[in-house]
Amino acid sequence: MTETQRPATELKKFVPRPSRPPVVVTYGVTGWLRKHLFGGFWDTMLTVAVFSLLYVLLKPFLDWALFKAVWEASTRRECLDLSPDGACWAGVIRWFNNLIYGRYPNALQWRVNLGFAFGLLWLVPLALKPVKHKIIIGIMAVVLYPFLADYIFLGGDRSTLHGMFACLALGYLALTYINIALVYAGKRQLSLYLEPLLERVSMKYADLLSQLLCLMALSVLIGMALHDVQLTHVPIDRWGGLFLTIIISGFAIVMALPIGILLALGRRSEMPVIRWFSIATIELVRSVPMITVLFMSVTMMPLFFPNTIDLNKLAQVILAVCIFAGAYMAETVRGGLQSIPIGQFDAAKSVGLGYWHTMFLIILPQALKAMIPNIVTSFISMFKDTTLVSIIGLFDIMLMARNISIDKNWYGLHSEPLVAISVLFFFICYGMSQYSQYLEKKLKTDR
Amino acid sequence: MIDSPVQKRQDKQPSKRVAIQIEGLNKWFDQFHVLKDVSMDVMENEIIVVCGPSGSGKSTFIRCINRLETYQEGEISIFDHRLGNDKNSAVLIRENIGMLFQSFNLFPHLTVLKNCTLGPIWLRKIPEKQAIEKSMALLERVGVADLASKYPGQISGGQQQRVAIARSLAMAPRIMLFDEPTSALDPEMIKEVLDVMIDLAESGMTMMCVTHEMQFAHQVADRVVFMSDGEIVEIGPPEQVLKNPEWDRTSQFLKHILSHA
Ligand SMILES: Nc1ncnc2c1ncn2[C@@H]1O[C@H](COP(=O)(O)OP(=O)(O)OP(=O)(O)O)[C@@H](O)[C@H]1O
Ligand SMILES: [Mg+2]
Repeated sequence: MTETQRPATELKKFVPRPSRPPVVVTYGVTGWLRKHLFGGFWDTMLTVAVFSLLYVLLKPFLDWALFKAVWEASTRRECLDLSPDGACWAGVIRWFNNLIYGRYPNALQWRVNLGFAFGLLWLVPLALKPVKHKIIIGIMAVVLYPFLADYIFLGGDRSTLHGMFACLALGYLALTYINIALVYAGKRQLSLYLEPLLERVSMKYADLLSQLLCLMALSVLIGMALHDVQLTHVPIDRWGGLFLTIIISGFAIVMALPIGILLALGRRSEMPVIRWFSIATIELVRSVPMITVLFMSVTMMPLFFPNTIDLNKLAQVILAVCIFAGAYMAETVRGGLQSIPIGQFDAAKSVGLGYWHTMFLIILPQALKAMIPNIVTSFISMFKDTTLVSIIGLFDIMLMARNISIDKNWYGLHSEPLVAISVLFFFICYGMSQYSQYLEKKLKTDR
Repeated sequence: MIDSPVQKRQDKQPSKRVAIQIEGLNKWFDQFHVLKDVSMDVMENEIIVVCGPSGSGKSTFIRCINRLETYQEGEISIFDHRLGNDKNSAVLIRENIGMLFQSFNLFPHLTVLKNCTLGPIWLRKIPEKQAIEKSMALLERVGVADLASKYPGQISGGQQQRVAIARSLAMAPRIMLFDEPTSALDPEMIKEVLDVMIDLAESGMTMMCVTHEMQFAHQVADRVVFMSDGEIVEIGPPEQVLKNPEWDRTSQFLKHILSHA
């Protein structure tokens, strides 16, 4: 040590000074306008130019869509008489119900609403903070909810097994809500009250057993209560409109991730057979247009199934769309997997985690989080792509829109239904995109 | 370089039990021969410091011990159990060996506490409450208990590395491997991590530590291994290897790092 050391008492003591609150710059509306739009000569010119252009472009559209539009009429003729160059929203309004529900009987449409209401009810707990084991609720939704929805939408004489599953779904939903209510009331979960009894039977499975027992009991109760309820049969070819679009794209969106994850993991697998199978599936499906896949699903799929299995067009289409969506999602997920640094695998392994634990606890949560924008983008495009099913004769929202123009009262009404559908789709897709941004912010953990 | 007097633990009883036995280890990356006939025994409670120039295969060597790397020839045994590709080996490694990395490698999507409880809950099936208690105690021990609910991206490097130590300790290993745990850190943080490591060494952990912190080597190492070009050149007590090396390569390397320390 060469430098001379001073005794500690002579050193000045460093104390960090207190922090100040951050500087906030505020200016009112006029201030904002002056700063951002009219900052200088060229800024002002640009602003004026852009706004004039917008006016020139938007004025005719707004005239047509709003100022000269007809909202009430009973035929297209009447519309044209009232305002020859305005939109005829009356036709869309008359047909609105069909755009949403297809040809589902008017008197029974409450069942569609009820079915979707149950779906929403199932999603609510996923958004509540104190709810635990959300992943199980989510998985149960994927497994059980389709039976319930199918039962409500389709009605008629279903097999007992199907009925049991529907009751199981209701039972699970009820159990979930009872538990939530108990937790909010500061009590314990329902199943925990039963546990002490069951611990005499089997210590290890007491928890699982008591949960299952509660579920069974609730399901049986619900089954007995609903014993006399008979729902009129509504055949699948009467389903249509936005309702059908949501069913198909709902399946595609929900199944895309699991299928995509499995295919993506398969593609990185060290077992050749699994790897080849995954690569073949992904590449085949991705290099064929969606329309072809849809046609093939309707014409060729029956060849692969034994005659005894009664396929319906909707099920075939859903299967095809799910595989299609899954193959695309696989590549998105693979991109996410590749973005994970190798050190994460090392760390997981050094903690002792095996392949599945590593993937599902460490790698996939990070990969999926990094991929949220891409995943939601493909959700949105799946939602829009499902409108292609009108080509194979399913009465989804697009086919219903085309039907308006061949209705004898509204003959030739082409543009208005399409504009209306665009607006509807915009709101749904914009909602999804906003949700994804919210999710991204919420899950951000690095700052 | 500060030549402060080093206090060395004198009370330590050398153990007779072999913790890690490495025999004739050879490894190739394609054509490149990274490890050449590496053999050594590590006794229980022994502290080994591995040093050597960059690219000499230090990381590869200690990564072979917990099978983060595969090797083509040779044998590694942990407490007399020969490691292979089987399930038993995986369990044995998981129950006995913890590892620390230069880049910390905490799981960024989990809080500090969850990083620690993950292994105990999912692998040892310890009830959550108990796992949290134990992890909090460990975080306390490494001095970061107040950060339990933070995410790794929100804390400093030194704190991250100490959390990584707690995460390893949560699995109650008997052997800890360190791959340059302090080389991504500022001097002040190096000290806080080294202090924890010294504390670990004194608690009787078997440690194998790739590091260039010579002060640490003098203070706690029982033996120092000097590697170069995939070979163990010299192995012996720190006073011998670091002060009176037998080989020119060793003394050359030591001169090099001493002039930079
Ligand atoms: N995955 C790999 N594939 C091919 N070569 C590799 C791989 N990993 C390491 N090597 C090579 O093996 C040699 C030894 O690498 P290793 O990381 O073990 O060195 P090291 O002693 O830890 O060096 P450092 O002090 O820089 O960490 C290096 O020459 C490196 O280029
Ligand atoms: Mg290294």
